[in-house]
Amino acid sequence: MTEQGQDEILELLWTLREEGKTRRDEVLRSTVESGPECLLEELIGRGMVHASGEEILLTKDGEGRARGIIRRHRLAEVLLQNLFELDNVQLENSACQFEHILSEPVVESVCTFLGHPPACPHGRPIPRGECCDRIRTEIRPLVMRLTEASLGAIVRIVFITPRSKRRLEKLSSLGIVPGSRLRLLQRNPSFVLEIGQTTVAVDRDITDEIYVKPT
Amino acid sequence: MPAVTTPPSVQGAVILVGNPNVGKSVVFGALTGRYVNVSNYPGTTVEITRGEARDRGTAHTVIDTPGVYSLLPMSEDERVTRDILMREPGARVLQVCDAKNMRRSLMITVQLAEMEVPLVLAVNMADEARERGVMPRLETLEERLGVPAIPTVAVQKKGTDRLLPLLELPSPSSVRLSYGLRMEAAIFRMEGLLPPRTSIGKRALAIMLLCGDDSLAPWLSENVSAAQIREMNEVRNRLAEESGEEIAFRVNQARLYWIDQLLGELGVEPAPPPGRNFAQAFGRYAMDPVYGFPILFCVLLLAYGFVGVIGAGYLVDLLEESFFAGWVVPSVAMILDRFVPSAFLRDFLVGPYGMISMALSYAIAIVLPIVGTFFLGFGILEDSGYLPRLAVMVDRLFKKIGCNGKAVLPMILGLGCDTMATLTTRILETRKERVIVTLLLALGVPCSAQLGVILGMLSDVGPVATIAWVVLLAGIVLVVGYLAAKIIPGESSDFILEIPPIRWPQVGNLAVKTMARIEWYLREAVPLFLLGTFLLFAADRLGWLVRIQVAAEPLIVRMLDLPPKATEAFLIGFLRRDYGAAGLFSMAKAGMLSNLQVVVSLITITLFIPCLANLLVIVKEHGGKVAAGMALFIFPFALLVGAAVNLFARWAGITF
Repeated sequence: MTEQGQDEILELLWTLREEGKTRRDEVLRSTVESGPECLLEELIGRGMVHASGEEILLTKDGEGRARGIIRRHRLAEVLLQNLFELDNVQLENSACQFEHILSEPVVESVCTFLGHPPACPHGRPIPRGECCDRIRTEIRPLVMRLTEASLGAIVRIVFITPRSKRRLEKLSSLGIVPGSRLRLLQRNPSFVLEIGQTTVAVDRDITDEIYVKPT
Repeated sequence: MPAVTTPPSVQGAVILVGNPNVGKSVVFGALTGRYVNVSNYPGTTVEITRGEARDRGTAHTVIDTPGVYSLLPMSEDERVTRDILMREPGARVLQVCDAKNMRRSLMITVQLAEMEVPLVLAVNMADEARERGVMPRLETLEERLGVPAIPTVAVQKKGTDRLLPLLELPSPSSVRLSYGLRMEAAIFRMEGLLPPRTSIGKRALAIMLLCGDDSLAPWLSENVSAAQIREMNEVRNRLAEESGEEIAFRVNQARLYWIDQLLGELGVEPAPPPGRNFAQAFGRYAMDPVYGFPILFCVLLLAYGFVGVIGAGYLVDLLEESFFAGWVVPSVAMILDRFVPSAFLRDFLVGPYGMISMALSYAIAIVLPIVGTFFLGFGILEDSGYLPRLAVMVDRLFKKIGCNGKAVLPMILGLGCDTMATLTTRILETRKERVIVTLLLALGVPCSAQLGVILGMLSDVGPVATIAWVVLLAGIVLVVGYLAAKIIPGESSDFILEIPPIRWPQVGNLAVKTMARIEWYLREAVPLFLLGTFLLFAADRLGWLVRIQVAAEPLIVRMLDLPPKATEAFLIGFLRRDYGAAGLFSMAKAGMLSNLQVVVSLITITLFIPCLANLLVIVKEHGGKVAAGMALFIFPFALLVGAAVNLFARWAGITF
């Protein structure tokens, strides 16, 4: 559990620093972890944290690790709030667990999927990741709306967020479900897609709800 | 539709089931020799048709049904199919599949297997699938499903002869999918709550109920006690709590997953090298944002040339002037003079309101050539698969009037016959859309009979009048549609429309279809023409016609500035507006109408309800209240618009 405890302290140091607080007593007062002194010593021992007088500062290594934790936590918050509309308590609890378990590729997928959000639901900045920089040079994000898929390319449906249950049922009876491969043939005057040997015309509000990944 | 007497058969009926536009009606025709309307777009069949097939002395009742995407009904026509499966005792099912789209066809197969109905598969359009290299290997499919699967090309009657012998002793498919622990537990509990004897498999019913199929409500109230319904709701609610609300979606997803595995296992037959396909290329361009509109324009131009120039121009001249006016009427008059010198009979047959000189000459000489050429042209459009592409082109426009692109199908069919088209509104998913399209059909879409007559009259007046008529009518349809969308409560549905491949129309099908429609028209229209003429004749004899004309004078003469005789046209326009238009047509030919009067009278009569049959169909589809409301709106509105056009034109000095 020390690993997780250390994570929590690093996260706290980052958040307090955003508020302009770096003093040891402020850190100790804000934490809910048991044995915070001990955890701080451990972090100092591993070269993650540097203590100068009353001030507690993140070292370069600590900075990197804290950055990752914060990024995972805040992305998870955005994901849970935007997609599943969870309330604040659930949001916080789940996000706290997510920050420990998400692997780097998953985080990148989530970040790309969410469109590289700059801030969490509480308005705090989300540290940028590699994927956020890459978006400028690379044309295609990892997951996009079918509306934005390039014409003629085969894409795989990742998930569908329909406005109504009925729409979802209708789409699924046509074979449009997550995992299916399809091609977008045209956008105007209506969206036309091809799934297997079936050609289907749909509205934009439907293609907006289908999220796909290039194959 | 005439009822077919069914001979007593030992087994239940053979029900044709399948996705839309897979050729159920073609298979039906091949089995029974009976023609039902066949086209190349989804949703042609909206009602069930029964027929009889004979095979080595055994008679089978065969039932054609509307196409379904799922047996969990989402529209009126899908419900018709599901209900017939539940109601026909001992029925056997012939599922017609699209060999190119086995993934979707198997979605239905899985559900039919759960219903435990005896099943045979006709894997249709095998030629197209082979051409595209996607024909699945059927031997393995038969093995896995435990039912026969026969490759067919129904339009060429290939393979269809093998179906009936197999339907002698069919058995249900052995396929059972597992939907996961929670779902299975819920299915098990649900099955326990169903009555001991059900017409279809309990598993299928249980899944339908869990998916929240509210169209089962009438069946439930008949067969299940209130306490059990409460318990069913508990089972469903618990499942929804445990695994989310989208049960139907999860079920479909599990089915598709199973089907994908199966199809992967089947593999496809080796394919010939792909060739260039002109039809497919045309199909793409026909809905292209750039080329689509020029193609649409060309199609309209061709259609106008065919119906307007050849039908309404050349053929009408030939039949009316040369045949009826030049030959039939004089010879009947001559024969009467010589053998039955009765002035009354002469008047009755060939007088100004004569059965031959008016009723038959309108029906056969003026309207028939136009209707015939329209139905032929429309049939070509239908069978080619162009119409759904048109829906793609106009979807955004139709959104403004509370519908979506799909509504263009009944609207275009309305140009052929509004009554037929009103029945076709069933392909639309919500009541709101059905009511809006029915109203617009009744108000502003002239049927081919009327259209031909009108275009014939307008072409004499000039292109400006034609354009004015088209623009005014389109404007009225759009404005009324826009307002109706605001006023009529309810929702519009999603635009999800399958686009069939472009195909060359089959001459045989085209001929049969056009003849069937012409026959339908003659049956429908000629009696009303005769009745209308008889009423006019009687009214004239009894002197009522003059009185009606006097009574209607403030309306017809003052408001619309038309000659009193035009009252007759409007009077019979209540029966059939094409008949009314034909009356105006002969007045215009006799030089009784000025150009402005032609335009005013045509706009007014176009806005009338098409015919008595149409009104009756509206009553049937939407009930008397809606029909009465529409009639009370349409007739005064038509006269008001006519008056407004007249006033405006006179004020602005437009004489056309």
